[in-house]
Amino acid sequence: MEAYLKYYDLLELPPEATIEEIHRNYAGLKALYSVNSMEIRALNMDYSEELHQDYLFRLDDAYEQLKLLLENKRPIVATKAAAVDDGLKEWINGINCFTGGALRNIRERMGVDLKDIFAVSRIQPQYLEDIENEHFSSFRAEVYLRSYLVEYTRFLSLDTQRVLSDYLPRYRIAKECQFLPSRQSRFLV
Amino acid sequence: MENPAKNCKVWAVAGGKGGTGKSFITSSAGTCLALKGSKTILLDADLGGANLHSFFGLNRPRYSLSDFFDKKIPLQDIIVHSGIANLGLITGSIGSLDSEGINFAQKQKLFRHIRALDAEHILIDLGGGTHINTLDTFLLADKMIVVTVPEVTALENMYHFIKSVYFRKMKFIFKTYNLSATIQDTWKNRASCNVRNLKELIAHLRESSDHIREIFDREMSGFVVHIVLNQVRTTKDILVGENLKSVCMNFLGLPVAYSGYCRQDEAVHDNINSKEPFLIFNRTSPVVKEIKTLTENIIAGTHLSMRKDLANGSLPEIL
Repeated sequence: MEAYLKYYDLLELPPEATIEEIHRNYAGLKALYSVNSMEIRALNMDYSEELHQDYLFRLDDAYEQLKLLLENKRPIVATKAAAVDDGLKEWINGINCFTGGALRNIRERMGVDLKDIFAVSRIQPQYLEDIENEHFSSFRAEVYLRSYLVEYTRFLSLDTQRVLSDYLPRYRIAKECQFLPSRQSRFLV
Repeated sequence: MENPAKNCKVWAVAGGKGGTGKSFITSSAGTCLALKGSKTILLDADLGGANLHSFFGLNRPRYSLSDFFDKKIPLQDIIVHSGIANLGLITGSIGSLDSEGINFAQKQKLFRHIRALDAEHILIDLGGGTHINTLDTFLLADKMIVVTVPEVTALENMYHFIKSVYFRKMKFIFKTYNLSATIQDTWKNRASCNVRNLKELIAHLRESSDHIREIFDREMSGFVVHIVLNQVRTTKDILVGENLKSVCMNFLGLPVAYSGYCRQDEAVHDNINSKEPFLIFNRTSPVVKEIKTLTENIIAGTHLSMRKDLANGSLPEIL
């Protein structure tokens, strides 16, 4: 429940707020922070585009989570990942690069559903899927991807540092290529 | 805070920028409290720009703060009657052309005597700017009030003022725990700690140790600045206060309360220029009710409750 208190804080509401209040505050905050308003312009040094984007991202997330919570009306029960047997452990140790595909294989062999990870980590299954498909454009900045990966690997009891050091460079390369003209299109011209 | 035995509330009104109506709000809120029957004293601590007496039609107050400092007359004896029951006034030095301010010892003395005054509410009108005297007097108060207007320059100064106050308070508290060096070093070497502003400094310090986090949770949790929005012209301006609450929390990491607003009213303007206390002479202006609301909110420590139709953005023209 603690995570939810954080979401309510972000929407500037008490935990007993109704769904209507959540809708209303979300719309209000979104409107305030979507335009270059006087209140924000006066911030000067305390404002940066990065901070702003980060805030909007967290606000959107909080809104989605609370909406889900109130629409389902059921507390999400934390389920623990399946116990890892020795054979599986050995197989995981044998993996030399944790790519998105490798992560999916591990998860499927453990019999874990994306919804299970969502239930505990509150990361939308869609983002989890994007991690596995290496659909990098879903992640605006590395920090988001990183924190999702940490949650993901924690749930599966994987070596977080190993996964990060394998996976994040793949993201960085893909992001860099985005800003360069792709080789293929140069040939076509 | 400093003297819990006595049940007197000290209010400090400041704002970072001049001309936002600090003296107007102080005099009006004070009048409002006095009319309700609370014994109230106004103190004009705007050194160098004292003019609180003008709001009560006093041209030549008999005593002023300079009598307290220079002639050592007790603070209780330099209270001038404002012409309104229950409302006393300690005026600032108006004759002096040499406004070099007061030194630390004088400041300490003044603080002690303010607390000893016989009154339920003591309202201190501070000048603009972020002078160290202003910050310290502000922090002494039980109710910290910032007056601003919906203008980008006033908001800039207000943000700066709130941050300065918070930083000063943080320094005080760290000093009492013998941690002065920690805060100073972190701020000096902020580039290497990846700290760019006050919010990140607070986050950095909080994460640095459990001990410091405890100090923050214990000492800073009650720190709230009350915002009063003056010279509001449109309905949209009223919402600026709501937005400030959110912006201060999200970008500065500091909690503020939106206590209320006062609209721009020509009638009030006329009252001030003819040196009449407007709450007595003008009973019909909507500002009277607005002053009452904001005074009540400050006493109770509550937020201005927004009308639902205003908050959801449909904005009917109420001004």
